[in-house]
Amino acid sequence: MNGPMSRRALLALTARLAKQSCIVLTLPMVLSGCERARQSAAEGALFSTLNSDEASELAAIASRILPSDETPGANEAGVIHFMDHVLGDGRDDELALLRVGLLELQAMVQQSFNTPTFASLDSSQQDELLTRIESTQFFGTMRFLTVAGMFALPEYGGSADLPGYRMIGFESRHFWQPPFGYYDADYAARGE
Amino acid sequence: MAEANNSLPHFDTRTDVDFVIIGSGAAGGIMARELSTAGFSVVVLEQGPHLQAGDFRHDEWAYDINSELTWSVRQGHPQTFRKTENEEAQPVERALSYAHNVGGSSVHYSGNFWRLRPIDFMEASVKGTIAGTNFTDWPISYEELEPYYSRVDWEIGVSGLQGPWDPPRSRDYPCPPMPVKGSDVLLERAARQLGLTAYPAPVAILSQPHNGRPACTHCGFCNGYGCEMNAKSSTMIAMIPQALASGNCELRTGCTAARIDTDDSGRVREVVYWDADGTEQAQRAKAVVLCANGAETPRLLLLSANSQFPDGLANSSGMVGKNLMFNAHCSVVGLFEHPVNAYKSVPTTRVVHDYYEIDQTMGFYGGGGIDGRHPSRGMPMGLALRGSLFDGPSWGSEFKRHLSQEFTHTAAFNGHTTSLPLSSNNVSLDPTLKDKWGRPALRCTYMDHPDDIATMKFFHDRCSELMSAAGAIKQTGYYAQNGQNGSVHLLGTCRMGDDPTNSVIDRYHRAHDVPNLYMVDGSSLVTSGRGQPTMTIMALAFRAADNIIQAARRGEI
Repeated sequence: MNGPMSRRALLALTARLAKQSCIVLTLPMVLSGCERARQSAAEGALFSTLNSDEASELAAIASRILPSDETPGANEAGVIHFMDHVLGDGRDDELALLRVGLLELQAMVQQSFNTPTFASLDSSQQDELLTRIESTQFFGTMRFLTVAGMFALPEYGGSADLPGYRMIGFESRHFWQPPFGYYDADYAARGE
Repeated sequence: MAEANNSLPHFDTRTDVDFVIIGSGAAGGIMARELSTAGFSVVVLEQGPHLQAGDFRHDEWAYDINSELTWSVRQGHPQTFRKTENEEAQPVERALSYAHNVGGSSVHYSGNFWRLRPIDFMEASVKGTIAGTNFTDWPISYEELEPYYSRVDWEIGVSGLQGPWDPPRSRDYPCPPMPVKGSDVLLERAARQLGLTAYPAPVAILSQPHNGRPACTHCGFCNGYGCEMNAKSSTMIAMIPQALASGNCELRTGCTAARIDTDDSGRVREVVYWDADGTEQAQRAKAVVLCANGAETPRLLLLSANSQFPDGLANSSGMVGKNLMFNAHCSVVGLFEHPVNAYKSVPTTRVVHDYYEIDQTMGFYGGGGIDGRHPSRGMPMGLALRGSLFDGPSWGSEFKRHLSQEFTHTAAFNGHTTSLPLSSNNVSLDPTLKDKWGRPALRCTYMDHPDDIATMKFFHDRCSELMSAAGAIKQTGYYAQNGQNGSVHLLGTCRMGDDPTNSVIDRYHRAHDVPNLYMVDGSSLVTSGRGQPTMTIMALAFRAADNIIQAARRGEI
C-alpha cells in the first residue's frame, strides 16, 4: 500500500513534527500498520474456500464486472483471492448463494451456448449472460465482492499493487499537505 | 491490538464505589475524567476494547463492511427497524449506529463541532409549538452552556474561526481553522455568487499541536475511522488518559451492562454486567452515570424494569426511548473539470449557515447548514460500490471510466438539518429478536416528520443551486423523501426538562424518578440542533459533571 517514497516522506514529516508534539509516541505503531498492510497473499496461492473450478468461473465473472482494458481490472487486482479469503470468514450465506447462483448460470451457459463453463465463453457472450442476470442476488453479490476486492487492502488476499487505487486516482498516504487539488491551489494563488 | 494499561486501581465489586459510569464515549469519557480527577472513585464499564492510535487502519473492508468499530449482526448485535408502530419491525444490519470502543463514537466521528445557538434552546417559545410533536424549549439557555462549550474547545481540542454571525463565545478557538479544501473553495465561491457566506467550519481535529497532541496530517480517514495520529479530538485521547492517571478510575473494557438494580427505597444499588470473559458481575455504587448513547441508554433503562419500575427504570413519564431524533440530511454531488481531491484532509472546511433558521413564511419548521465534502467520505471502495454517480453502468469498462473521473473530480454539498421530537420515533425492545447476550435487540421506529422532509427538500434545492453556481458539469442529488432508515445521531431519548411528567432527567441530568441515577449523552437533548450534536453532548457532559461533583460534595446524591 505504501511504497518506500511515502514512508520516507512520513519519516521526514514526523521528524519535523516531533519537535513540537508527542507524535513520536504514535509513530512506531503507524509504521507497523504500514508494514502489515504491505503484506499480501502470495500470487497464485492455493484457494482455501473455493475449489479451483469455482474459482476459475467466479474469476471469469469478476473479470467482466471490472475488465482488464486500458487500466487493470479484477484479474490484476487478484479479486478472486480476496473472494476466497473473505468468503471463508463468516460469510457462509454468501458462499452458499454464490454456489447455487453459479450452477444456475452454468445451466444457462449450457442451454445458450452448449458448453459447460462460463469461463470458456468469449467476452461478448459473457456480457450477454451477465446482463440477463443483472438483477439477481447472485450478480449483486458478485458485483459487491468484485468491487470491494478491487479496493480492499492486500491483507485480504488481493494484489499488493492495489491497481484499483491507481485506476481512480486515489493515492493512499498517511499525510498530505495543501494544496490538495486544483481549486484550493487556485484559491491560494489568487489570494482569496 | 495495543491494550492500554488500565489495570490500576482494582475496585471490589461488592463494595460501593462513588460512581459507575456506563459507556466511555463522548460524554462518558468526560464524566470519567471529571469525576476521577475530582477525587471520586470511578468504575467505567465499556463494551468495546481500548484501542489506541496505532490500532487504526485505512481499512474500508474492516470498518465499513465488517463493522469492526460499529458492530452489527456479525458481532452478535442485530437490530430491527420499522417506520411506524403499526408495522412489524424487520431485522436490519444496523439502524442505530455507534462505535464500540473506549472513546465511543468520538473516535470515529467526523468531528464537526458547531455549537448550538441561543435560538436552539428557546425555539418553541419563539416560533410556537407544533401540533402533534413534543417540540419544546430546553430548561437551560445558551448562556448557561457557553462556558462548557469553551471548555470543550480547549480541553477536547477544536479548530475554527469565530465569525461575526456565530453565537457569542468567552474564549477564542485554541487552534486556527483547517486549510480550505477544493470542495469548499467551490462552495465558498458559489455562496459568494448567491449572496451567501461560507465560513471556516469548526472541527474537533487539531490544525496545530495542542495539549501535547500533534496536528492533523490530512490523511483523509476521519469519518468512520480512528485517527492514527491522535490529531482527532476523541475522549479516547483527550480525556481517558487523564482519568486513568488520576489513580481513581478503573476502566473495565469488554464489559456489557445487563441492567441497573435498585434497592427497596428506589435508589440505584448496583450495575449488573457481563465481564470480558462473559461472566456475570455486579458493581455496587453510590451513584450511576449512564452515558451509553441515545440508543443504549434508553434500552438499558427499559431492560432494568422491575416491580418498582414496571415500565423501565426512570420512566414514570413514559418518555424513555421516545423523541428519537436523527437530524436529517441531503447531498448534492457535482462533477468538475479539474481535480478536486476532496478525499484528502478532514471531511469539511467550510459551512454555510445562512439558512440556520428557515423563514417561517415557507410554511414549515426547520433549519440547518451546508458544507462541502467528498461524495463517499473519501473512501474508494465506498464510492465504487455505489456505481456510477451520474447515470451510467455499475459494471464493465464504461463503469471503470466513470470511476476514474468521479473519485477525484467531484464535490458534494451536504445539508444537515433539524428533526422534530415525536413520541412515535423511538427506541424500544424487540419482542422476538435477541442479541448475543440474550437481550432483546434494539428496535427502532422512525419516520421523519413532514416538516423535516420539507426541510431536507429545501436544503437539497439550495445545495443544487450552489452546485450550479459552482460550475458543476453534471450534478445529482438525494434526500430521504420517504424517510430515513437509520442514523449515527441518536438524540432525545431521555430528554431533559423541568416537568417530570414529560421529561426523564432534570436540568442537572439527574433522573426525575431515581435520585442517584444520571443520564448524560445524546439522549439528554431536547431538540435536535442543526446536525452536529457531539459538541453539545460534550458541553452538557462538562456541565453535568460540575453539578454532580457539587451535589456529591454537599452529600446530596
